[in-house]
Amino acid sequence: MSGPGMSSMGRRRSFGDLTYGLVIGGIALLAVTIIVAPVIIVLMTSFTEGRALKFPPQGFSLEWYQQLFDPVKSRQIHRTAGNSLTIAAWSTLFGVVLATLASLGIGRNRSRLARVADSFFMSPLVLPGITFGLAALVYFSVLGFRPSIDLMIAGHLIVTMPFILRTTTASLSQLDPALLDSSQSLGASWFYTLRRVTLPLIAPGIAAGAFLAFMASIDNVPVSLFLSNARTDTLPIRMWGMMESTLDVRVAAVSGVLIASAFVLMLIMEWTVGLTRRMRD
Amino acid sequence: MRFRQLREWQLALPLALAFTALFLAPLLLLVGVSFYNDDKISQPGFASWLKFYGDPFNYKVIGDTLLLGVKTVCTTVLIGYPLALVYLDLSARLQKVLLFIIVMPLLLSVVVRTFAWIVVLGHEGVVNSVLMSLGVISEPLKLLQTELGLVISLTQIEMPLMLLPLISVMSRLDPNLRDASAALGASRWRTLFTVTLPLSMPGLVAGCLLVFASSTTAFISQTVIGGVRLIYLPLVIWQQSLVVYHWPLAAVASLSLVVSVLSVVAALSWVGRRSGGYIHG
Amino acid sequence: MFNRRSLLAGASALGGASLLPGLAHAKGGLVATTYPGTWEDAYRSIVVPMLKKKDDIDLEMAPLFAMDQIGKAKAARGAPPFDVFVLDPGPRIVGIEGGIFEKFDGKKLSNLSKIPEGFTDEWGVHVSAQVVGIAYNPKKLPAPKGWTDLLKDPWVSRLGLTGFQTTFGTSSIIEISKQFGGSLTNVDPALVELKKVLPKIAAVGLPAAMPGLFQQGQCDVMYTNTQTVATLKGKGVDIEFVKPESGAISFFTTMHIAKGTAETANAYKYLDLVVGREVQESLMKPPYNFLPVNKEVPLAPDLPMKSLDEMKSYVIHDWAKINPLRAAWIEKFNKEMAK
Repeated sequence: MSGPGMSSMGRRRSFGDLTYGLVIGGIALLAVTIIVAPVIIVLMTSFTEGRALKFPPQGFSLEWYQQLFDPVKSRQIHRTAGNSLTIAAWSTLFGVVLATLASLGIGRNRSRLARVADSFFMSPLVLPGITFGLAALVYFSVLGFRPSIDLMIAGHLIVTMPFILRTTTASLSQLDPALLDSSQSLGASWFYTLRRVTLPLIAPGIAAGAFLAFMASIDNVPVSLFLSNARTDTLPIRMWGMMESTLDVRVAAVSGVLIASAFVLMLIMEWTVGLTRRMRD
Repeated sequence: MRFRQLREWQLALPLALAFTALFLAPLLLLVGVSFYNDDKISQPGFASWLKFYGDPFNYKVIGDTLLLGVKTVCTTVLIGYPLALVYLDLSARLQKVLLFIIVMPLLLSVVVRTFAWIVVLGHEGVVNSVLMSLGVISEPLKLLQTELGLVISLTQIEMPLMLLPLISVMSRLDPNLRDASAALGASRWRTLFTVTLPLSMPGLVAGCLLVFASSTTAFISQTVIGGVRLIYLPLVIWQQSLVVYHWPLAAVASLSLVVSVLSVVAALSWVGRRSGGYIHG
Repeated sequence: MFNRRSLLAGASALGGASLLPGLAHAKGGLVATTYPGTWEDAYRSIVVPMLKKKDDIDLEMAPLFAMDQIGKAKAARGAPPFDVFVLDPGPRIVGIEGGIFEKFDGKKLSNLSKIPEGFTDEWGVHVSAQVVGIAYNPKKLPAPKGWTDLLKDPWVSRLGLTGFQTTFGTSSIIEISKQFGGSLTNVDPALVELKKVLPKIAAVGLPAAMPGLFQQGQCDVMYTNTQTVATLKGKGVDIEFVKPESGAISFFTTMHIAKGTAETANAYKYLDLVVGREVQESLMKPPYNFLPVNKEVPLAPDLPMKSLDEMKSYVIHDWAKINPLRAAWIEKFNKEMAK
């Protein structure tokens, strides 16, 4: 790593470059393995014939998927999955409306107050989820609310909305202000400009954010842990329970379904709104 | 113009109202609840704070929690950074594929990712069965319920949070800089440590922030993979709030979590700004 | 634009569709607690469908340990998160003192005459008896004889440990403590001895996690109840139950109606069904092996006792004395066992 001597520079450099390639390439390969392998291993385990989670899985069967889709045996899992989808759909819907409005309102506003408000709206992303979960539980109990789907939607709205605000504000800031000015100078009303110019241009940003928010809600544990009860518990909470107690192989089958749907949804979002590009930028 | 500004600004009001009622108010109430002495929340006082901070055990728990975050940050940097370097050298097409692979686990439920590691690290899991069949070990290694196992799992679970900001900053770097460094005779190692690494510092710091904040509060992974002998703050919060139901103590524990995590985050981002300034200056 | 619209439409359609079953169960609903693991499995697969068939009541099971149920009910302050409790003797007393039960009237049960006298009182009804002892993997370990064996080789290095959050955990540690000079109200000797062998112990887990840890081979010996052993056996796990030399622990599990519930009528229907012959018989069969309380159900030969009269020969703990000490024990266990 230290400065190469003049005479043997060429050889040392190639040696150094070789170790660089080996070390960096090797670790990168390890990194990809670590990221991908567990996912593939879970998929493989979910097709086991056995009743235990062993690797390599014994035989190949769809038994656990059949059990998972059996409406009687897995009623509880289906119901929690329904809860998860309901909560995610409504919290995303409210999130889209509120975040888009807020983004239009202060997204391009450079004033100090607007920046403070923006960081306030983004703060659920850095605040430990378990703290907000506890706070929401204490708050709703003090106000005398019973646990319900509505409370879960409210809680999820807070922790998933920032994704929508971020992507929407990002696509707003890429808009050419001249475009809006020209629309208005042509006599279009503010609302007309919004509807015909601004919204169509930022729609992919909103959609990407909505997708991330939806997935974050489906995935959420800390808020659901505190706000749910037997009627409103969600799929991850149920899976956690199954993992903790019976360690049913159906957990692997649920994981398989979730992996497959996340994969498909992500491909769709990638083609339509360029999801990964938005997440990277 | 002034009128229009005012009207636009008002669009953020619904979100501001929702956040005040559903986010700010609960958190303020949580702070309030922490200043009660008893689990019935009837006597105001400082007893809960004194009890929590009068117990040396809790300092150990806070220390362990922060240390877990630091360890996870270190492993994600060591393994993730080389992958980000490799990303830069890939063709646009392969970059897309790699980015997809990196983002994919992020959209996968944390519960699924945690579950995957149970299958991998278990007594009869992948690691043990591979090592035993290779004859490397005769007795299965104990990986679940150890901090080593937990850090390995968290490395994968948090990896996307490190890579996304890192790749985002690195792909904006001028590739000519690295070419120039090479042309001037610097080895690839030297280029890495004198050019790429300092310039990618903002992304690295952002990645560290996210990984740190997420791993210190990863309740599910901590309890399922770490077991109950490894006690971190989220477990204490969960026990105090949902097992013992001493909300004031739970409030103290969760506020301690917020303060300790956010102060490390603030310190890191200060370092980030400093290093950023140094490079540009 | 189209993408966003269709996405939202799709999402809300999904949401709407999954709301429908929610509306359907608003008619006859009941939320009852159950213990995570065996109880949860058994009640979900036997009682839930039977109650639906018999009374058209949609029963939801909330898997919670007894202590957690009490905590949750107290925290809810008059708006109970569930309608029926299932509790062990200790938490039952806490619940009565905390005033979280509705007064119980045994005469409302059509099966009252089928259960022994004294199995109902003004607070609830006995639904099963439990037996707690030692479970081990016969393929990996010789059979342990008593509680002290757990702390000796070869068992100690395969031991799975859990604390005072549950009745079976508390009772077992009390029994271990007695072997080392402790008593019903003094568990320190057990904690001292456990601490000595702590580095060797295979796993320390949350109570709900223990069956999973055993199943995966993370530990091969633990204290637990007979139903858990039966359920694991049913899953093909190598596991056997041992009554410790000093005697296995036994107690009755009871059910109670939550104060302030809007579903009192459904709750009685549920309790009536639970103590009825059909449910008690099904729950007694493998893989659940519940000890029945219905006089018309003779105890099967594979159960740990031949009749409930044998309970007198088992170790029975006085929970009125244990309860006041338990919170401190939980905290102490956490600290002593932390790495």
